[in-house]
Amino acid sequence: MKKYIVKRILISIPVLLGITFVVFFLLNVVPGDPVAILMKEKASAEVIARVRAQMHLDDPWLVRYLRFLWGVLHGDFGVSYKLQRPVTDLILQAFPKTLVLALSAAIFSWIVGIPAGILSAVRQYSLPDYFFMGFSLTGVSMPIFWSALLFQYVFALKLGWLPVAGFYGWKYVILPAVVLGWSSAGLIARLTRSSLLDVMKKDYIRTARAKGVRELPVITGHALKNALLPVVTVMAIQVASLLSGAVITESVFGIPGLGRVAVDAIKNRDMPLLQGAVLFATVLVILGNLVADILYSFLDPRIRFEKK
Amino acid sequence: MKTKARRIFRFLCVVAVLLGVLVTTGGALAGEKVLKIAYPYDPKTADCQKTTDCYTLPLNCFDRLLECVTLESGESKIVPGLAESWEISEDGKTYTFHLRQGVFFHNGEELTADDVVYTFDRMLDPGTKALNTDILDFVEGAQERLDGEAETTKGLEAVDRYTVRIRLRESYAPFLAVLASPQSSIFNRKFTEAAGDSFGLTAETTCGTGPFILEEYTLNDRQILVANDKYFRGRPSIDRLEIKVVEDAETMRMLFEAGEIDVFDCDYAFSQVPYFEKHPKWKDRMVSGPRVGIYYIALNQKLEPWDDVKVRKAFQMAIDRKTILDKMFYGRGILANGVMPKGLAGYNPDLEPLEYNPQKAAQLLAEAGYPDGVDVTLVQVSTWGQKWVTMSEIIQNMVKEAGFRVNIKQVDESTYYATRKTGDVNPYIQVWSADFNDPDNFFYTFFSRSGTVVRSFNNHSEEVFEAIEKARSISDPDERIALYRELEKKIVHEQAAWVPLFTLDHIYVISDRVKSFVVPWNGWSDMSYYEMDVK
Repeated sequence: MKKYIVKRILISIPVLLGITFVVFFLLNVVPGDPVAILMKEKASAEVIARVRAQMHLDDPWLVRYLRFLWGVLHGDFGVSYKLQRPVTDLILQAFPKTLVLALSAAIFSWIVGIPAGILSAVRQYSLPDYFFMGFSLTGVSMPIFWSALLFQYVFALKLGWLPVAGFYGWKYVILPAVVLGWSSAGLIARLTRSSLLDVMKKDYIRTARAKGVRELPVITGHALKNALLPVVTVMAIQVASLLSGAVITESVFGIPGLGRVAVDAIKNRDMPLLQGAVLFATVLVILGNLVADILYSFLDPRIRFEKK
Repeated sequence: MKTKARRIFRFLCVVAVLLGVLVTTGGALAGEKVLKIAYPYDPKTADCQKTTDCYTLPLNCFDRLLECVTLESGESKIVPGLAESWEISEDGKTYTFHLRQGVFFHNGEELTADDVVYTFDRMLDPGTKALNTDILDFVEGAQERLDGEAETTKGLEAVDRYTVRIRLRESYAPFLAVLASPQSSIFNRKFTEAAGDSFGLTAETTCGTGPFILEEYTLNDRQILVANDKYFRGRPSIDRLEIKVVEDAETMRMLFEAGEIDVFDCDYAFSQVPYFEKHPKWKDRMVSGPRVGIYYIALNQKLEPWDDVKVRKAFQMAIDRKTILDKMFYGRGILANGVMPKGLAGYNPDLEPLEYNPQKAAQLLAEAGYPDGVDVTLVQVSTWGQKWVTMSEIIQNMVKEAGFRVNIKQVDESTYYATRKTGDVNPYIQVWSADFNDPDNFFYTFFSRSGTVVRSFNNHSEEVFEAIEKARSISDPDERIALYRELEKKIVHEQAAWVPLFTLDHIYVISDRVKSFVVPWNGWSDMSYYEMDVK
């Protein structure tokens, strides 16, 4: 196992390097000037030229890329052009908020998605099945910005149960977590349902039932353990994607998270900040995949990384 | 199974505790007078030398030598600020400011002439990487300091503890108005030097003499300001000012209606104006003021067919500005016919109105060699919101009758500014509001030798360039205004270098907690909250 993990980590180094190169290259190819957008309407040709020189933006892009890599190797991700703060500080400041949001959304999606999927599978084509699948379909189909506004209107403005926006206590997490987690809950519910239905048709389930085992232990003890294998994979990757994909939710609910930092960095051609955010998100996705693979080996004894 | 269930339960408990710890809490003390407002953007820094917009923090945490105060809606006056008096030499090149004594920074240091000299010299120091250096262009030795050829700025001098002398390389009439703009806020040398590059980035590294002290600054989230008990003009009425960052306009509206913010700025969602006007609770809570600013269309003479004055005149005539103002902005504004908007020193109410005449426009287009019409492009920044998209589309349809086939090209903001600064962007619709109350803030910005390129007008008229430079140094106000009015006629009516559209009112809806709310003279969203009060 250790050997496998080390190997995976080593493989991820060229991936990270490749991604930084692609991002750097793309941001240099597309038109845009970080100083011009910094000054916006007050742009003055003389000031732009001087500040560009002071920020070494007139150096060839390869020189700037190598300078960036050199900094990263020394633990220095540079200073954001727009926000004028060290990139590491900005990411570390924003990440906990995104982490809270993503974990809350993930937990909501698990708590709702897995039971809904199980219930739909064991009561296939019943009213609960139609209800939960309808719920899943709505969650997956509804654009987040729309469901966010809808939830804000109903639960915050009309009913007054929860705050509209902000991030100052546990109450503020509920709405964005539900909005963000709904679509994932739908995905997990549908996956759990189809996987469980598939497993329920296997011979060993029939054998268990023939032995006289009651239905609940058949589902929880025999079927569910196997049916959850693909679900666990999705759950682990989903946390990583929730961490890097909460942009709209953060924007609508006014949460100062990592997604907003990354989008602002793109808008402002803020190369150091964007590189930092992309590297961070890439590491999260790589880790998510690694955790999924490791969990897989624990859940399925047939998968052993060392015994090939 | 029971053990597993317990483990899962324990895991969830741990996660719940973790979430609780990570999510911070905060709030005002009971009985405090708190004004809660929101902006859709984070100011990024309180250091007004390093930002060209978002001036709410500088306007509330710092002071300037002089202040531009709102007299009535759209009217302003320059009054003493940190300087209680000043003298200008006869040649208009030397300004001597006498500072108030007993003014203290938030760190307890007394304001001295050395702080003023330090502040302006810091702006010109190349190490600062300041963005607003052009306001000090006229100071003697500014260029040498900017170029790194001098260690200090020659024209800045602390005569004694409370007297500052600023020498200009040549007379510059708007200099006092410039010193009253937020970019000219005064810093404390000791504090600012110690803070270094972090100055203005956090509450701990921000210090001014202003009516409010920055207590908390969480990036992209909120800023909390508390009253400065020792403010030299007297303590503000409100104890605490909470500024939230709410990117989404609809969320901002809901926050307002839910009572979580006290002021809703309709600039961020103009389409909500009719809703508030009809709403029984809000219709009497609307406050508005004129904006010393102008919506306009820039026509790039570097690109065909805009190099032909007949085409530009035809475009001016092809737009029914009144209909746009009435239908899209509910008539909340006035048509603009020149360069200087109402409220700006020098505004000419008698300027000949621009005519809406699509038939005559088509005739002019034919005379210019386009009898079958012409294909043109209008640039639209994709992230600027629906208002701009709608305006572009209305104009696209409106000018068809005259023969202009408009292709709307969407670009992102960074591309737009990068292309515009080289003078290559296609015509665009924009708005400009006054930084300081002087025509120079409009004429120099748009039609000077450098401004006309960096804003992609490319109206290379030597006559205009010379007149703008001349107007800057004329000390007689009447003579200056007369020159600007002549210039305005030439630029708009003869050269048709831009299409003035209208000046919109700035409309706010305020909660019943707010006792006094004054729309700033220039109609900015960024403002001082010093004189406001809440129940």
